Amino acid sequence: MAAARPLKTDWAADDVDADELPAPSETTDADGITTIITWRLDEQDRKVKVTRRVRRRIQTQIVSHSVAERKHWAKFGLDKGKPSGPDRKTTIVGENLHFRIAPVSKAEPEAADPIAAKPLAGKAVVCRLCQGAHFTAKCPFKEQLAVVDSLNADGMDDGQEDDPSAGGLAPRGGTSTGGKYVPPGQRAGGGAGESMFRNRDDLPTLRITSLSVDADEDDVRDLFAKFGRIGRVSVVRDRETRESKGLAFVSFEEKKAAELAIQKMNGHGYDSLILNVAWSQPRGDRP
Amino acid sequence: MKPIILQGHERSLTQIVFNAEGDLLFSASKDSVVNAWYTSNGERLGTFGGIKGDGGHNGTVWTVAVDSQSRFLVTGAADNTMKLWDISTGKCLRTWEFLTAVKRVAWNEDDDTILSITEQRQGQPSVIRIFPINREDPTSQTDTPLTEMRLTGSKATVALFAPVSDYVITGHESGKVAKYDVKTGEEVNFVDDAHRGEITDIQLSPDGTYFITSSKDKTARLFDSETLEEMKVYTTETPLNSACIAPLRPYIILGGGQDAMSVTTTSSRAGKFESRFWHKLFEEEVGRVKGHFGPINTLAVHPQGRAYASGAEDGFVRVHWFDESYFRSRPFGDLEPEVEV
Repeated sequence: MAAARPLKTDWAADDVDADELPAPSETTDADGITTIITWRLDEQDRKVKVTRRVRRRIQTQIVSHSVAERKHWAKFGLDKGKPSGPDRKTTIVGENLHFRIAPVSKAEPEAADPIAAKPLAGKAVVCRLCQGAHFTAKCPFKEQLAVVDSLNADGMDDGQEDDPSAGGLAPRGGTSTGGKYVPPGQRAGGGAGESMFRNRDDLPTLRITSLSVDADEDDVRDLFAKFGRIGRVSVVRDRETRESKGLAFVSFEEKKAAELAIQKMNGHGYDSLILNVAWSQPRGDRP
Repeated sequence: MKPIILQGHERSLTQIVFNAEGDLLFSASKDSVVNAWYTSNGERLGTFGGIKGDGGHNGTVWTVAVDSQSRFLVTGAADNTMKLWDISTGKCLRTWEFLTAVKRVAWNEDDDTILSITEQRQGQPSVIRIFPINREDPTSQTDTPLTEMRLTGSKATVALFAPVSDYVITGHESGKVAKYDVKTGEEVNFVDDAHRGEITDIQLSPDGTYFITSSKDKTARLFDSETLEEMKVYTTETPLNSACIAPLRPYIILGGGQDAMSVTTTSSRAGKFESRFWHKLFEEEVGRVKGHFGPINTLAVHPQGRAYASGAEDGFVRVHWFDESYFRSRPFGDLEPEVEV
């Protein structure tokens, strides 16, 4: 929210103004929202008014004397002379993790490698050594036949193993990686590349409207958790008052669970309101 | 639970520790710098080393330990030195030089003695040395150890003072756990087959009567400090690098993942780079926390049990403050007592 004032045409007024920026002001209204107005000069020496509206909340914490004293220590080493408060370069706050203490069931199958587990439908896998129906790397006669194979490798017809998909999949079996670098997308158990923050758009997401304003993230999570594993829940709130707007988004990890949730929860009564559950439209597709 | 991610290191973490009140966290890494952090907001208080000519380490810092008054820090590194630092200013007060790398340091309960384990290399045996610390005049420290224990068998990898300051308990590469008398330097008790692989970490319980060891043999075990009797076993499916005992609640936190060597060939989903929570008494897994994309090298828990932090091969430290639900949880229902928070 920055409003730029047009460049002064009067050369005399310019000089005076540049030095005399209006003093920053702070006002707090009845809702407890503080408006902070500060002024600065941009690269072309134009005055820029910066308005920030924030809600301040004081959190009181009782600590021992030694802890309070340490809070006022001067920074040292590489941080010498830096102002107090976290530096964005060294400290960031991660995405909310859902962590609940509950017994982890042993019966739950190990998250199976989706690529390796999938049978190669329609693709004939032929071993280069013994012509059996398995990857060459997994051939039971590898030791004996590898020697023979290397002898007449030049004369062999490579028609079958040139199939790019079969060749690319072989290292995923895990036996033949041999310590070489494997790009993240081709590692066992990995699909697309991975990042520290999960991509928000790759999960099937539901949009819940006419939700009670008293419901928070945990309530919504409890409500939808019975349909399947939930990746992310967010309740839309007013930017200033932090009150719920009666709208929430729930991302499931599986599409099937999301479909079931629409079926069961659309029209379901919750806290005196009837829920409206539908697929969430990605930002770009919305009319 | 929103983790605070601390990115103050360029290389993988080796050890992290909280101070006694839990308001500061110290992290040591292979990039030769030790960082101090405020745990409440993740602000970096400063660095020990990192500027040329200020007396910092010149190689992988393997280990870090803080005294109970948060006045002094001891670090041990691969440049064959052990250093004593003033925490409030970040100044190096004293450097001890050895013939091989320092793999582990620890303070005793009275804050007047430290121990160091030096690596077994170049024909040098693994040696545990106990040094007195002069707290009145910290720049004048003696070079002569109180006690020197030359180990003949398998080398020691980890150690701590327990019970109280009279004994040192060590974990060895062979999986042996042993107990030495601080005054005489003699081995008073040992368990040869405590683990079937290298012991990677040892941490004491809040009251000091038992301790936990983690090992490459994929298990973590609780032992009695007095008798070295095995009390509990937690069996996982990955080699473990660290384990700690959460105060306040009956949980154990374990961290590991496959070897750093094979990280580039496995995805983080298959690598199991999670911190795992186990129930201390029932020996059952009760939760996991994701986030790192490399094996977890070191774990530390807030001394009052309010938070825990993990440091990994990926170079990040993640500080997790527990939610309300963590303190109220009773995963095994009526078997457990009601909790008051």
